[in-house]
Amino acid sequence: MKNRIHIFLILIFLVLSCREPFEPVIEPTDQNVLVVEGYLDSDGTPSILSLSFTTDLQSNFQPSSSLIGASVFLEASNGGQFSLIDQGNGDYLFETDIPENDTYRLRIFLTNGNSYTSEDLNPIITPDIIDVGYVRNETGVEIFLTTQGDENADDFLWTYEETWAFRPAIESQFKYDPDIFDVVLRGPDERIDLCYRSFPNSDLILETSSRFEDQFVFRQSIAQIEDGDEKLSERYSILISQKALSKEDSEFWEILKKNTDDLGSIFSPLPSLIGGNITLDQNPDVPVIGQVSLGKVRQRRLFIDNQEITPWLMPEVPEYEGCVISADTVFIASYDAVFRSGVNIPVRPVIPEGGFNPVGYRSAPVNCVDCTRRGTNVAPDFWEDDQP
Amino acid sequence: MKKLLLSIFFICMVFLAFGQSQEEKITGVFAQMNFERFASALEKQTSYQFYFRQKDVKDLKVNLQVTEASLPNILNEVFTDTDLKYTIDSNKGVWISLNSRMQMNFSSDFFEIKERSENENRGTDSVDRFARNKLYTIGKQGDNPGSSTATISGIVRSIENGEPMVGAIVLEKVDFNQIVTGPDGYYELTLPKGRHTLVVQNIGGFQEQRQINLLGDGKLDMLIAETVLSLDEVVVSSGALSNIQKLDMGVQSISIDEVKRLPAVLGEVDLVRGILTMPGVNTVGEASVGFNVRGGAADQNLILYNKSTVFNPSHVFGFFSAFNADLTSGVELYKGSVPVNYGGRLSSVLQIDADFGSDEKFSGSGGIGLLTGRLSLEGPLTEKTTFKIGGRATYSDWVLNLLEDETDLNGSDVSFYDLNANIRHQIDEKNILEFTSYLSQDDFSFDPDTTFNYRNVNVAGTWRHFFNDQLEADFTLGYDSYDFGIIGIENPLNSFNFTFEVEQLHLRSDFQYRKNENHLFKFGLHAIQYDLDPGTNQPFGPESIVLEQDLERERAREISVYFGDEFTISEQLSVSYGGRYMFYQMYGPQTINQYVPGAPLTESNVIGEETFETGETIQTYHGPEFRVSARYILGNESSIKAGFNTMRQNLHLLTNTSAIAPTDSWKLSDSFIKPQTGGQASIGYYRNLARGQIEFSTEVYYRYMRNLLDFRSGATLILNENIEQDVLNSDGRAYGIEFLLKKNVGDLTGSLAYTYSRSFLRTSDDPSVEKINDGEFYPSNFDQPHNVVLALNYELSKRINTTLNTNYSTGRPVTLPISKFEYAGSERVFFSDRNAYRIPDFFRIDFSVNLEGNHKVDKIAHASWSFGVYNLLGRSNPYSVYFTPVEGQIRGFQLSIFARPIPFITYNFRF
Repeated sequence: MKNRIHIFLILIFLVLSCREPFEPVIEPTDQNVLVVEGYLDSDGTPSILSLSFTTDLQSNFQPSSSLIGASVFLEASNGGQFSLIDQGNGDYLFETDIPENDTYRLRIFLTNGNSYTSEDLNPIITPDIIDVGYVRNETGVEIFLTTQGDENADDFLWTYEETWAFRPAIESQFKYDPDIFDVVLRGPDERIDLCYRSFPNSDLILETSSRFEDQFVFRQSIAQIEDGDEKLSERYSILISQKALSKEDSEFWEILKKNTDDLGSIFSPLPSLIGGNITLDQNPDVPVIGQVSLGKVRQRRLFIDNQEITPWLMPEVPEYEGCVISADTVFIASYDAVFRSGVNIPVRPVIPEGGFNPVGYRSAPVNCVDCTRRGTNVAPDFWEDDQP
Repeated sequence: MKKLLLSIFFICMVFLAFGQSQEEKITGVFAQMNFERFASALEKQTSYQFYFRQKDVKDLKVNLQVTEASLPNILNEVFTDTDLKYTIDSNKGVWISLNSRMQMNFSSDFFEIKERSENENRGTDSVDRFARNKLYTIGKQGDNPGSSTATISGIVRSIENGEPMVGAIVLEKVDFNQIVTGPDGYYELTLPKGRHTLVVQNIGGFQEQRQINLLGDGKLDMLIAETVLSLDEVVVSSGALSNIQKLDMGVQSISIDEVKRLPAVLGEVDLVRGILTMPGVNTVGEASVGFNVRGGAADQNLILYNKSTVFNPSHVFGFFSAFNADLTSGVELYKGSVPVNYGGRLSSVLQIDADFGSDEKFSGSGGIGLLTGRLSLEGPLTEKTTFKIGGRATYSDWVLNLLEDETDLNGSDVSFYDLNANIRHQIDEKNILEFTSYLSQDDFSFDPDTTFNYRNVNVAGTWRHFFNDQLEADFTLGYDSYDFGIIGIENPLNSFNFTFEVEQLHLRSDFQYRKNENHLFKFGLHAIQYDLDPGTNQPFGPESIVLEQDLERERAREISVYFGDEFTISEQLSVSYGGRYMFYQMYGPQTINQYVPGAPLTESNVIGEETFETGETIQTYHGPEFRVSARYILGNESSIKAGFNTMRQNLHLLTNTSAIAPTDSWKLSDSFIKPQTGGQASIGYYRNLARGQIEFSTEVYYRYMRNLLDFRSGATLILNENIEQDVLNSDGRAYGIEFLLKKNVGDLTGSLAYTYSRSFLRTSDDPSVEKINDGEFYPSNFDQPHNVVLALNYELSKRINTTLNTNYSTGRPVTLPISKFEYAGSERVFFSDRNAYRIPDFFRIDFSVNLEGNHKVDKIAHASWSFGVYNLLGRSNPYSVYFTPVEGQIRGFQLSIFARPIPFITYNFRF
């Protein structure tokens, strides 16, 4: 319904209104706020804490030098320190198994002299993911997850990363070898007819388990893949991370989610200032963004093969619009002229009747044939092909 | 003939004895006449006789067209720029002399006449000068010798149409004993016996005076002018005598006539826009519902149409005012010392007076503009019953369709109407019945899939009873409701019908008791029964799979008793003091959450539920409100006033957007949401300049507010069963200084208002999940420090007047996205502190021209045209700013609603 109101408002303003650029002068003190992100694993599994600064809305992200070489450590209640290792780019690695019944503080000492301290952190042991599955529904495929909260873990955050295999519009096993002026079969490493794309998803899925009986979160919807999406045209994989959150963590993520979804449109609710659990020691009033948590992340990977969900509509990929194999044959004499630049790829051999060797090839534009233009042809490490 | 003259003479004498002269009206065209011919023409038409020296008038040429004008009016006009003076005697002899008025010895009292002050505006004198200077003897010598005082009473009538003048002030000039005439024009004053000068003031600014010699109880009826030539029906509001003398402070009134002259969007006369010309009143945007008074939210204004509360005073969610100006007789805004007989809202009371029609003749008026047509009828039904009904409706979407070609609007549709029907019946001298009703309905959609509708319904009946000369009372029973709905049919599976409704039944009794001349007591009881449906969402259409959701209705009763006294201590000092006691009770059936005591109201702190049976009390709130104000007159030309009052409010508007959105609904105080309370202290200085032609006033105020509603991040306001979890209890404070310079007389009239004001909110110290801006004070959404409004009206001639309206204000505060960062795999936006920035300043000039047709008496209808331009400069005043990614970068945009000059034209007629 809210969207409808937005539509209404947009339309109402179309009637008489006028839109002009608005470039407010932002006070410099409001920029360059430290951003701390990390869910540090308490049982030694490597996890990353990343530091960055906010930047001007119009600028591109520039890693700031003062974030490199910082001293970052967890401080136990008895004063014991567990260091994080500088990975460059503001990333710091944590891989220490720490006692889970203790209380910790994260301390950050930047090279510019500023130091930051987090509020007290108690490791939260995220319960295991009970089940991950999918269901075919009217509009596509819904991926769900089942878990159960406990007395320590009530609020949950799920994030996910998707990887999928896909094929280009026109498949080809051939390539032009300019050294021998001929078309040859591609080797196994040179395949351009099966690629993989991987994307972390920015959706933040939040739920409170105590809303349900026995804190049993049954079939929580994680992602919906619409019919005809390329993600399921071959084989698809999703890695779901489940993190248990404290109440304060959960509120931070709620605000983050809300502020991302609503970017100050005409009638959107007033945005809220995002903070976190980190403060600057030298001046507690300076804003710092970031809610650092300690705990155990649970992950599950799910594969879905196109065969499991057939019939699946042919994907309509904008890049592949208008892709056809040319009707004309490129004969051997023209190979170099047509194929050397790489703009056209030989795709179908033209073999005369009764002959064995092709006299030429029909070609197609490279962007219709070469899947590496949109992904990588190297399967990720975790990739499992369908067991036959 | 002689007999006739004699009898006229006799009749005149009889009338004069009662102080009421039946004037003869003159109609005709006198073109290029010398004065002799002019005089003889008048002698033929009337019973007047002219006496003058030929050499005095030999150079005078008369060029005049008059309709139903009185002789003094005509002579004033003819003698403009000459040294000629005239005197009319009781025999209808008109004596014309050069330089000084002829003194006539026809009454022994006459020589005791005080000289009239010369600053009286001759152009506005419409009443026989004789009546002013004649000494009226009331009562007989020796009446009631034991008493040193006597009572004079009578009826004040309009000279134009003979109707009783309501709200005129009758004032005795030495001790300033005063009274406001009642609905029947009746006044009554008890004064020491002896000589007095009575001043009658009509709110339009015209004054009359009578010299009386009070010997005993008696009657004196008076005729006073409403307007000079009665070009328009000017009925002005305010029971205020003048800037200086009135006791109330922070009261602003505006006549419907003034409102009608203001340039308006698409020519739709807009009351709310009228009150925005007053200092201390502003709005967050051009097309937004409501207005903000002295740093208060829009829901803190009590908007009364007569005695009915109107919840949504606009059409199409803020584009047009929902009141038909033809059916209202005046507007009064109480922003400072709210009288004790009003309550229930924190900021202000906007009293819109209903018009009950003329008791003289059956007539009508109407008009047609770009968007709407309107028609109203009024007149006497019987001798004692008058009525006025009227309606206004959109007649076509052609303006929208015109725009549709330029934009991609398809299926847009706007329609609205409003109807009023008012009846007044005078049962007898002591009893009056009044009935008012109001209905407004809006239906609109800007795409074919979503339809919005909302409706106001108000009916009220009042019985006014005069117990005796001192005590009168109004008893009112009424029903008010507001509902809105949204129907979405974009997808048959998700089609829904969302509705919201608030209803109230109210019963009120208001008493006024005048105890001698020093006390005016007001007391009474108001009872309101609320019934509110917070929201119902139903599937719409057979295919819809939307789950029905129905929030539990809220019911409450609110009973207030009040008492106040306007106490005139001395000529200089008057005080008004009083209080209200409000008792509020929410009752079942309802189920409410129970929370961990002392902890924030969050889902995790819910420890149980409590169910209340029908009628069972859920929560009770009660508390007093105080109203104190005082006026002290410093000399003749200035006064100071001070006041303090406190208020309570039990009905809250749920809104977390800066502009009021279509889905904003009302909420009653409950176990968690406490009544809003607040107080205001103000002090003001008032002065008349240029011999009363210019009024100056300045007021300083400070306000505090408690239990205001703000909302936590991500709050859901629609269909939220646990709204208390999303509410942040907030405190507010506001302060400001207002200046007003007003010129009411002359060809050029107008006002200049400047306001400096601030308004702040702060999340209160109650336990809550979130403290906005760390619990510090932050500017409210309508904190616009500087506000200047200049409204000028220039009368080019009696038939053409022009209005220029200029408006400047500081841009309202906004929360801006100011930088970005990566978090959880995506680009996120970092917002500034709440309301740390402002949208650009607002500046607009509007211009309009009103053209009157001629006023020949035999014409069937009188017509007038209004045309003008809204936003003359075409300035793009930002209404809102928003941010959206463009090619991967977040860009800011500002939206203006009326970004170009919007011309309008309206045709009005009266018959």
